[in-house]
Amino acid sequence: MIDQFLSTIADLAKDSGVAGFFVDGGWKNIVMILISFLFMYLAIAKGFEPLLLLPISFGMLLTNLPGADMYHSEFWVYQTVGDNDHYIDYGNILQHGGLLDILYMGVKLQIYPPLIFLGIGAMTDFGPLIANPKSFLLGAAAQGGIFFTFLGAAILGMSAAECGSIAIIGGADGPTSIYVSSKLLSNSDSIGVGTIALAAYTYMALVPIIQPPIMRALTTKKERSIVMGQLRPVSKVEKLIFPILVTVVIALMIPSAAPLVGMLMMGNLLKESGVCDRIAKTAQNELMNIITIFLGVTVGATTTAKTIMTLSFAKVIILGVIAFSIGTACGILLGKLMCVLTHGKVNPLIGSAGVSAVPMAARVSQKVGQEEVPTNYLLMHAMGPNVAGVIGSAVAAGVLLSIVAH
Amino acid sequence: MQYQMAQLLSGKLSGHDYTGTDIASVVITGMSVVFIGLILLVLFVSIYGGIFNKRNQKKKAAEEAAKKAAEAEKAKQAESKPVSAAKAPAVEDGIEEEIVAVIAAAVAAMGAKSGKKLVLKSVKRSVSQRDPWAAAGLADNTRPF
Repeated sequence: MIDQFLSTIADLAKDSGVAGFFVDGGWKNIVMILISFLFMYLAIAKGFEPLLLLPISFGMLLTNLPGADMYHSEFWVYQTVGDNDHYIDYGNILQHGGLLDILYMGVKLQIYPPLIFLGIGAMTDFGPLIANPKSFLLGAAAQGGIFFTFLGAAILGMSAAECGSIAIIGGADGPTSIYVSSKLLSNSDSIGVGTIALAAYTYMALVPIIQPPIMRALTTKKERSIVMGQLRPVSKVEKLIFPILVTVVIALMIPSAAPLVGMLMMGNLLKESGVCDRIAKTAQNELMNIITIFLGVTVGATTTAKTIMTLSFAKVIILGVIAFSIGTACGILLGKLMCVLTHGKVNPLIGSAGVSAVPMAARVSQKVGQEEVPTNYLLMHAMGPNVAGVIGSAVAAGVLLSIVAH
Repeated sequence: MQYQMAQLLSGKLSGHDYTGTDIASVVITGMSVVFIGLILLVLFVSIYGGIFNKRNQKKKAAEEAAKKAAEAEKAKQAESKPVSAAKAPAVEDGIEEEIVAVIAAAVAAMGAKSGKKLVLKSVKRSVSQRDPWAAAGLADNTRPF
């Protein structure tokens, strides 16, 4: 009887997750679990974008617990049919997938990021941008980070899909990064969507640390002290025309940017119309929160030990911060040019807000400006390039998707 | 160069199968497409912004002129009838002036939002026994879709 008891216990132990740690490569799972604890700490104690990093880090924990079977990276391999047509076997996933596999379909099918954009649109006031349309240019310049990082990644010998996915981190926009990387990356690439999302959200949280030194280095004290006048008031009709106009122009020009820009602008129209209060509120709150949970936990789940514990992960981390810095620098430099052209009416500090990261980047511009002149309010001026940056990075995403094969 | 870009957009980059010129044209095409797109938006927004701004200013100017004319007329009337002051709202006994002022300010703020000029005619105690917050909650929950 004792023998039977012992053998049952041994069998149970063999089936348990703990045994999974001792099989070949099991130590990697332990490392990943520890990394997830680190991100949880950063989210809870340090307040690093907790709404996203906490679900992401918990997803990371769940996926690396051996035997839990919540997410299977092997399901997401592209099957090839004929010469060039490849697809994912969603039927198989629906039949055999775990909870996180099913939820991850929303990422892989590019459903979540546009829905998040819907909520962002419903929360954004494009007034400062309409009042000063030149801010669009700053939002465009800051996308320089994306394309120069593409160059950097190519030099490091990454594949085209990886280059595009890493470069998009420079757009400083989480949903856009996930949108692009989930479309470009397949299971055969050395990095995963989770890696890109982790880097993007971590750097977005670090915007107040990364940006100010670059902003100070590239501007003179005199430029930083420029006080900008008040923006003109924008009428309701202008605010109503804006989302429709942007959607039509951008969707016709770069069709692959249409899902992101279209949903962003639809959310904005819902809000500005003033007649869909209930829907606008749902888009801003309930829908956005639900999608954030799904997106966070599933993107976190893609960070399995296999995909993260590679040299490529280090490359993503390094290239990501470079992408951010170049984006900031490009924005500031165009801001300086505009300052010269307008004979000192534009404070170049608002240029750095052209990387999306709404509204953190605009707040950084405000803070750095106030260090020089305490009564200078750059916030509304910086919100222009900031929201232009969201549109700009969605456009850049569309460009990347149309250039790189997926 | 143009040829290269066209080639790039027709045949997509994939795997490690790319050259230095491919990458350079990605950078150049990417940046120029983003800039062209956003410059288009700058143009459109500036044009319609300009139109609306002008119209608003015209409206404002017209309004101001009308106001001035009205004021001049009022001044004339005041000369002939010096006692016509703004009608004070009828306030029920026992309601403090401060509270009336707060209500008037709230009404004025609401009026400013919708662009209408609202006048406070009278202030009376509500007869209903329901707490106003509860009433608001009830209204919110029972309002049809």
